[in-house]
Amino acid sequence: MRSITRRDFLKLGAASTALLAVESQLSPIARAVELVDGGRSVNRTSGLPRSFLPSTCTQCPAGCGIIGYVEESRLVKIGGNTKHISNGSSLCARGQAGINALYDPDRILVPLKRTGTRGENASWKPISWDAAYAEIADHMSSIRANPSQFVYLTDDLENDGLGRRFAHAFGSANALGAAGVYDANKRVATRLTWGAAGDMPDVANSKYILVFGANPLESHPQFVGFAQRLINGMQNNQAKLVVFDTRLNNTSARANEFYYVNPGTFALVALSMANVIMQEGLYNRNFVEQWTNVSPQQLAQSLAQYTPERAQAETGVPAAVIRRIASEFASTFPATTVSDSMISNHVNGTQTERAVMLLNILTGNIDNRGGLCLPRQYNVADAQPAPPAPAPSGLAQPANLPLASLQAVAESLPLLKDRQKYPVGVLMTRGFNPVYSNPDNAAVADTLKDETIIPYHVAVSPFMTETAALADIILPETTYLEDWNIEVRPSPEQVPFVALRQPVVPPLESSKSFFDISTDLAKRVGGGMEQYFAFKSVEDYLKARIASVSGLAAAGGLDYLKQHGVWYDPKSKPNYGSFAAGGFATPSGKLEVASARISGLGFPAMPAYEPITAFTNLEEKDLVLTIFDTAIQTDAKTANCMWLDEIQHNNPLWINPDTASKLGIKDGDKVKILRSNKTNAEAKERSVETTALLSDGLHPKVVALANGCGHTGYGSIAQGEQTPKDKIEKVLQNPNTELVWWGEKDGIGVNAKQIVPKAVDPIGGGQAWGDVVVNVAKI
Amino acid sequence: MATALIKGEDGQVAELARARAGLHSLLARVFSAAPTAELLKGVKDPEVLSSLAACGIAFDEEFLSGGVEEQIRELAAEFTRLFIGPGPHIAPFESVFVRSPGEYQPRLWGGATVAVAGFYEEAGLRFHGSQIPDHLGLEFEAMAALARAEAESRESGDREEAGRLLELERRFCREHLLRWAPDLCLAVERETTSGFYRGMAALARTLVMMPGEEDSII
Repeated sequence: MRSITRRDFLKLGAASTALLAVESQLSPIARAVELVDGGRSVNRTSGLPRSFLPSTCTQCPAGCGIIGYVEESRLVKIGGNTKHISNGSSLCARGQAGINALYDPDRILVPLKRTGTRGENASWKPISWDAAYAEIADHMSSIRANPSQFVYLTDDLENDGLGRRFAHAFGSANALGAAGVYDANKRVATRLTWGAAGDMPDVANSKYILVFGANPLESHPQFVGFAQRLINGMQNNQAKLVVFDTRLNNTSARANEFYYVNPGTFALVALSMANVIMQEGLYNRNFVEQWTNVSPQQLAQSLAQYTPERAQAETGVPAAVIRRIASEFASTFPATTVSDSMISNHVNGTQTERAVMLLNILTGNIDNRGGLCLPRQYNVADAQPAPPAPAPSGLAQPANLPLASLQAVAESLPLLKDRQKYPVGVLMTRGFNPVYSNPDNAAVADTLKDETIIPYHVAVSPFMTETAALADIILPETTYLEDWNIEVRPSPEQVPFVALRQPVVPPLESSKSFFDISTDLAKRVGGGMEQYFAFKSVEDYLKARIASVSGLAAAGGLDYLKQHGVWYDPKSKPNYGSFAAGGFATPSGKLEVASARISGLGFPAMPAYEPITAFTNLEEKDLVLTIFDTAIQTDAKTANCMWLDEIQHNNPLWINPDTASKLGIKDGDKVKILRSNKTNAEAKERSVETTALLSDGLHPKVVALANGCGHTGYGSIAQGEQTPKDKIEKVLQNPNTELVWWGEKDGIGVNAKQIVPKAVDPIGGGQAWGDVVVNVAKI
Repeated sequence: MATALIKGEDGQVAELARARAGLHSLLARVFSAAPTAELLKGVKDPEVLSSLAACGIAFDEEFLSGGVEEQIRELAAEFTRLFIGPGPHIAPFESVFVRSPGEYQPRLWGGATVAVAGFYEEAGLRFHGSQIPDHLGLEFEAMAALARAEAESRESGDREEAGRLLELERRFCREHLLRWAPDLCLAVERETTSGFYRGMAALARTLVMMPGEEDSII
C-alpha cells in the first residue's frame, strides 16, 4: 500500500471537512455520534442481568404466548410464556426460531423504490420515509373519489385490525384476508350449522377422539396448546384415538387405530357411521329432538343411502370397522371428532365437515365437557371512533360465493383481471405472499406484474418475498417481535383470553411498525380518514381496543397485558352448554343439520356425500396429490429462518413402494410430477420435479408433498444458497449461509402450489388443495 | 503510547486529529446512504481530487466526466444493490463479518454488535436514532467524534484528555474497524460497477489499515 505523507493527509482531511460542511445538513449520519460527559463502565463479560418481556408469536396462526429474553438490547432467546392459557411454557421450533427472522441479514431495513420494470429486471433504490409516504399518498389521493379502487391484502384479517381500519377509513371494503385459501370451508360449515365460525374439540377431557384428515400433533390452528391437550386426554382419560387419513402422519402413528381412506371420500365414512348410529338406535334422541332442526325420522331417512357396505366399496374402510367404530363412538361419552384441512380442502369440503360434525350432534357431544365445543374467544371490537364499514364489494364477497362471507383471496385475486368491473388504483400487500401461497401462483404473478391491472403496488414487508419483489415501493415493516397488537384465538382450555403482542426489542434501523405506517399515511392522505388515526400513541390505540373486554380494565388493562402478556378471567370456568340459555346463533336457534341456506344454492340441505368428479375415473397411472403441513415450516412465512431450514429444507415426494415399483421408481430417484388434465381440463399443463421418498405410510393412490419449500425469493436461506469458498464472494452472502449444507446436496424442494389450479368448493369458497390428479414419472 | 505525539507541537497534532475527523466523517456519510448531488460535486472538486490522488486514490474517468444528476440516480441503485439487497449483498455490519467467542456463526446483531455498543458507552459516546451500533457508517462516525473531541482537547491544552481520546481511537480501530472493514472494502472494490464506490472503498481501506503506532499520523 502506498504510504501517505503527513502533508497530503492533512490536505485531504481538510478538504473532506470542507466538502461535508456543504452537504452535512442533508446527511443522515453527520454528528450521529457525539461525545457526552462521563463515560460509564460496561460489564463486557456474560452473565449480565437479562430483561424478560411477554409477547405473542405469529410464526404460525396459533398465536402462542412467548417470553423474549433480552440481554444488552439483544434478543437472545424466545421461550413459552408459562402464564399463557393456551401453550404455557411450551413452544415449537418455529416460535424459537423467531430470532432468525428478527436478526435476518436479508431483512429490508429502509424503504425501497423500484427502478426499472416490474418483475425480473427490477432494481431498487432507497428513499426516505417522507418521500415514500408522499408518493403513496399521491397515488391514494388520485383514487379518493373511487375509494374501492384501494385493495388491501393481508394474512389474518381477524387479527389485522389496523389494516381493515385503514381500508375502511379510506372508504374501501376491499380488505381481504388469506383465510379463504386455508380454512374457509370449515368456517362456513360450522357457521351454517351452529352459528359460530370454527370449533374447538375439548380433547383434554374426552374419552374417544375420532380424527378425520387432521394431524394435530404436527399441525393445527392452535398447534402447541391443542397437541398438549390431546396427549393429556390420551394419558389422563385413556381416551381412544382413531384416525382416518390418506397418509400415516405423526398423529396416526400415535393412534390406537388408523385407517386409510380413499381421497375425497371422508364424508362417506362419517355419514355411514351416522347411519349406523341411527339404525342401531345409539343416538341421543332427546338432544336431537330438542336441539336440531330435523327429526330423527328425517335423519334416518336421509342417511339410509350411506350403508357401511357402500362406504367400504367407495372409501376402502371395511364395513365391519365402520360399524364397530360408530358403535364405540356413540357409546363412549364424552367423545369428539377432530377434523382439518385434509377433509376440508376439497370441492366437497363444506359438506364433509358438516358430515363429521353430525357425528357429534347425533351423540349429544356438542359444547359439552370432552365434546366438540364452540370456539371461545373474545370479540375485541375496533377502537372507537371506528370508521363505518363501506358497502360490501364484489371482491370481498364474490357473487358466486354468497356464503363465503369473508376472506376469499383465492377467488378474489383472479377477479382483478376484469378491469372494467374491478378496477384497482392502489394495491397494498402486507404479511401475505400470494405469489408463493396462492393456487396457480404463476397466474397471480402475471396479474401483479401487469401494470394495466395493478397500476401501483405498495408492499409492506420486512423481506423481499416473491410478492414484494413485484411491488413499486416496499415499506420495511418491523417483524412481529418489534410490534404491537391485540391477539385473540379460540381457547383450547375453553376459557377465552386476550393476548398482547409487544416489542421485545425496538424496531431495527429505520423499520417501522404498521401502526406508525398506517397513521402517517392516513394523515398524508387526509380527506377525513385521519380522524380514525388520531391516537397519540400505539398504546392509546390498544387501550381503546381492549376497552370492550369486560373485566380486563379492572385487572389493570394494558399495563396488566404488558406485564403478563395474556389476560383471562381467573374466576372463569368453561361455560359448557352455553347454548342452553339462548340457543345457537342460527336463524332457527338450533343446530341447523338441514341448512336452508345451502339448499337455497341448489345443494342438498342435509350433510351429504358428493363424489369429487376428478377422482371418479382414475386410471392406473393417475395419483392424487396431497399437500401437507409440517411442524417446521409455515407456508410462506418461515422459510428464511435458518434453524428451521436445517430441519426441513426440501420436500421429497412421498410415494407408496408398491405404486413406485409399478412406475419403476426407486427411493431417491428424481421424479417429475405432472398435473393430469383430469384435475381441470382448462388449466395449462404444469409440472414440478423433486426426488422420491418411498414410504409404506401412504395410501397407494396418493402421493404427498410437504408445504413451505421451493422459494424463488424471500432470502438466501429459503433459496438454499451456500457460502462460497472465495473470500470476497463470501462477504456478499448472508452469514447464515455458512450453515447451509443442503443447498447443493439436497436442493430446496418445490413449491407444490405451482401445480394446483384455482378451484373452490361452491358452498364454502375454500380452495380445493386436495383435488389435484397427477402423473408421476422417473426422470 | 501517545507521548510521541504530544511531544510535538500541539497545534500540529490537533490539525492531524481534525483531518482524521473530516475523513472519517466523509466515509461515514458515504457508507450510510446514497450520495446527494452536493456530495458528488464536493468529491469532484479539483482540490479534493488532487488531495485524494496524492494519497493514491483515483476515480475512473467515467465517474469524473459523468453528469451528477444521472449519477445520483445510478448510485442510489448501486448503493441498494451493494449494501441492502435483494440478493447477494454486503451487509455493512461488523457482527456479520466477525464471529465473537462462543458464536457458532456470525450474524446480525451478534456479539460484536454488543461489544461495539459497550465501547460507545464506555467511551462516553451516545448515538442518536435507531441504527444498529456496528454499522460501518456509525463506526466511522464514532471515530470522527473521538478525533473531533481530541482536537478540541488539544486546542484547549488538555493533553491528558486528548491522549485518552487518541488511545480510544486507536483501540477502536484495532479492536473493531481493522478486523472487518478491509474485507468489506475489498469486496466493494471488486463487486461495484461504480468508480465512486471503488474509490471510496479504497480510501476507507487505506485509512483503516494505516499503521497506528508511535510516529504515525494516526
